[in-house]
Amino acid sequence: MDMNEEQPRVEDRCIPWSDGTQLLEDAAERKHFLPTGLEGIDTLLGGGLRKGQLTEITGQSSSGKTQVCLYSAAHVAARHMGAVLYLDTSNSFSPSRIACILDELPVSLIKEPKDVRLKRVMSSIICESVFDIFALFEVLDQLEVSLNGKVHHDGNKICLLIIDSVSSLLAPIIGGENSQGRSMMISVAMILKKLAHKHNLSALVTNHMVAGNEAPKPALGESWKAVPHIRLMVSRDRRSNICTATTLKHTLLASGRRMKFQLLPAG
Amino acid sequence: MANKLVSDMCLPPHLAHLLAARRLTTAKDVLSLPEVELMSLLDAGLATARDAVRHVSEFACPPCQTALALLEERVRLGGGGRLATTLCGLDEALGGGIPLGKLTEVVGPSGIGKTQFCLKLALLATLPECYGGLNGRVVYIDTESKFSSRRMIEIGQKSFPQIFRQEGLAQKMAGRILVMRPTSLSDFTKSLEQMKVTLLQNDVKLLIVDSVAAFMSSENERGTTGFTQHPLRWALSFLKSIAELTRIPVVVSNQVRSQSNDDGYHYSFEVKRMGDGVGAERLESHLVAALGIQWAHAVTIRLVFESHSGQRFIKVAKSPMSPAVAFPFIVESSGITLLNDDGIDVSGPEITSIRCQGGSQKGA
Amino acid sequence: MNHTDEEAYAALRGCDMAPNKTAQKLLLQGAQNAWDMLSEEQSQKHITTGSGSLNDILGGGIHCKEVTEIGGVPGVGKTQLGIQLAINVQIPVDYGGLGGKAVYIDTEGSFMVERVYQIAEGCISDIMEYFPCHHDKASSGQENLQPESFLAGIYYFRICSYTEQIAVINYLEKFLGEHKDVRIVIIDSVTFHFRQDFEDLALRTRVLSGLSLKLMKLSKAYNLAVVLLNQVTTKFTEGSFQLTLALGDSWSHSCTNRLILYWKGNERCAYLDKSPSLPVASTPYAVTSKGVRDAGSSSCKRVRVM
Repeated sequence: MDMNEEQPRVEDRCIPWSDGTQLLEDAAERKHFLPTGLEGIDTLLGGGLRKGQLTEITGQSSSGKTQVCLYSAAHVAARHMGAVLYLDTSNSFSPSRIACILDELPVSLIKEPKDVRLKRVMSSIICESVFDIFALFEVLDQLEVSLNGKVHHDGNKICLLIIDSVSSLLAPIIGGENSQGRSMMISVAMILKKLAHKHNLSALVTNHMVAGNEAPKPALGESWKAVPHIRLMVSRDRRSNICTATTLKHTLLASGRRMKFQLLPAG
Repeated sequence: MANKLVSDMCLPPHLAHLLAARRLTTAKDVLSLPEVELMSLLDAGLATARDAVRHVSEFACPPCQTALALLEERVRLGGGGRLATTLCGLDEALGGGIPLGKLTEVVGPSGIGKTQFCLKLALLATLPECYGGLNGRVVYIDTESKFSSRRMIEIGQKSFPQIFRQEGLAQKMAGRILVMRPTSLSDFTKSLEQMKVTLLQNDVKLLIVDSVAAFMSSENERGTTGFTQHPLRWALSFLKSIAELTRIPVVVSNQVRSQSNDDGYHYSFEVKRMGDGVGAERLESHLVAALGIQWAHAVTIRLVFESHSGQRFIKVAKSPMSPAVAFPFIVESSGITLLNDDGIDVSGPEITSIRCQGGSQKGA
Repeated sequence: MNHTDEEAYAALRGCDMAPNKTAQKLLLQGAQNAWDMLSEEQSQKHITTGSGSLNDILGGGIHCKEVTEIGGVPGVGKTQLGIQLAINVQIPVDYGGLGGKAVYIDTEGSFMVERVYQIAEGCISDIMEYFPCHHDKASSGQENLQPESFLAGIYYFRICSYTEQIAVINYLEKFLGEHKDVRIVIIDSVTFHFRQDFEDLALRTRVLSGLSLKLMKLSKAYNLAVVLLNQVTTKFTEGSFQLTLALGDSWSHSCTNRLILYWKGNERCAYLDKSPSLPVASTPYAVTSKGVRDAGSSSCKRVRVM
């Protein structure tokens, strides 16, 4: 696929103007929160992952980033909020882990047998493996076409798009002398934000950390730093298995706040 | 094969031209670029770049063998291909002796008998095959000026009196050993570079470097670690490739340095044990190999020479063939002799530790 | 918005015999829903490590379609485990194995074929012990159980530079297409040449992250396990030097599972450091003359090789 040849469609080129009142209305009526199911994180984010926004989870290796993604996918799907699209780059999407998370949920208010619920919920989580940046562009393009055409998954509208992890796709292309990689990174950001806003879905991406001057810092550098609306750092204490989430960046709330949360024992 | 020329690969003409025009002449040039960087350098689309990478990879990829073919080749080339040390227990533990084509490390405190061991190996390799030798020449890189022909002949006369009774044989054996005495690190790397030619020309059957750490320890104090580590890393992969290319055993000796604390011995997930007996014991004399963990990863076999409980031991500390086992030994006029051939099983951190009790420090 | 369009789509969906499938197809080609993946995962067999307790912490063994990194200090048993897996993947289906083949990419020259033979013999003798009835009746099946046939099922690549390592990983795509029965790819070790020869560290990170994605892709596409052996290095963190796996922070994200082998007193232990579906856990194991086994098993005693 050649990026340069891609022509935006007519309706994309003329985005309608909107004023503050309309945006406020839009925010109140459509931009709901999607729960991650992890109490600490939901509190920290004022209710969960916001529709229309791009949230980034960053953290060291095995700090719980993928777990936050799996929890969010399971909870959003379980609460009838819509379908979830999970783009997996490191073969770490674990259906058995999702089944285990669902199993621990209180039997829903609607009287639904556990196995029926399991099948229903799991069917509305769709996973696709993506192993390079070109494949990601292709998938996002396909998704946009589908969403524009109002194709739904099983009658469920996609409300959560997860990329775990976006940094492993971007790592091979950024840095070095040529700027093409950087511009590809920016166009990933643009597409994600556009999808999130236009189709009222929440985008959740994970980013790894690299050694910084003093403490480890999120990877992908300064130009990516400006991209996510919310940047959340997770860490895990290996002995107690208690995780801590810290907001590094939040468009509405003060950053630097932290909350503890605990993941279900796996297995 | 990394330097395989793109022009020799019979690529489709359009790819060959494209790569040549961008001065990508070797497989290394093409393959060490990430996909996106290659695309922008070639000013080509993804399909073309992937095509080029696919073609070049296929040519640069070494051939595949099944393990069975490998085994058959090994058998065809005569047994497992070992240089017997004539120390029965040790030979048995190593599956016949020092393996050909591999890098073997001998590490221990000074004066414990590493050089004695090296001298013996050198002697053995020169012996005719009927006496268990390799009937070839030996290159002995002596960085510490410790090589002594007289001592070697003494070892030979005492351990193989029946052979050395023959007239002039001792001189002939000694003549087969080429000793190099590099005086600096650059000297050392230079002699290594010339090595390949020497080895192929002179029917060399054993390469010994005694010791490989000599230059490193003195020059480490001056420069930063990163700077001086580099030639060493190069020497490491070079020695390995020599071993494989020429299918001869390469034996290197390594010194030790003392380690003051437990730093660098634990992972972050391991709970630190405070104040238990192990710590106190370690304070006594805790040694580590002078060349760090990276070197240790690279050698195929590591023999640790150490002393404790009033005895000296040779310990098989790393070997893909055999379990960890230690043999008590003494140094006699006939060289190193094992006190028994049964060996003592070693387990746990004892396998990698290097102990040194006073007394044997300056034994030889 | 346009009502007729919506109605048209609804009609389209309604008239289709399998609305489920069509809707999904339209939404995203090639994607799978978690329910289908779950049933697929549950029917998957895992590659046994030879040690029951090690299998337990790994959720049954090494998983196909995943990349597992195994690290540890020199001599702790990385290569042993690598060879063991190359043998165990070949245990025939009749005996509860995968009946697959192995690709072994040796970058360090530590693959000792005599030892492979020994481990194959150990594996066969264990199979005979567990399946005595098979042993009695199936003389035809028994023919396959020769160490030689296990050795013939290991495709061995000897790599002497990082260029060759990149080349072989690229070439695997074609190789695996021609050898569909390969179920495990072992790289022993992924570190060596990259640590020796690569000068530009930023470029190294980019190249390595590209490689790890390729390996992920291979493991998924050909339904096989990728096992990467890694060396350790020391790193200054939290005020002291600690052991950590080599190749840096970026690389540490590029595997699905991570297992660290270490010494705990006199025991060899394995620590599952990272896994999307399993808890962090550790267990002792042993390396015997027959290969990797449970700690304290009877075969733990050293058997002399004559």
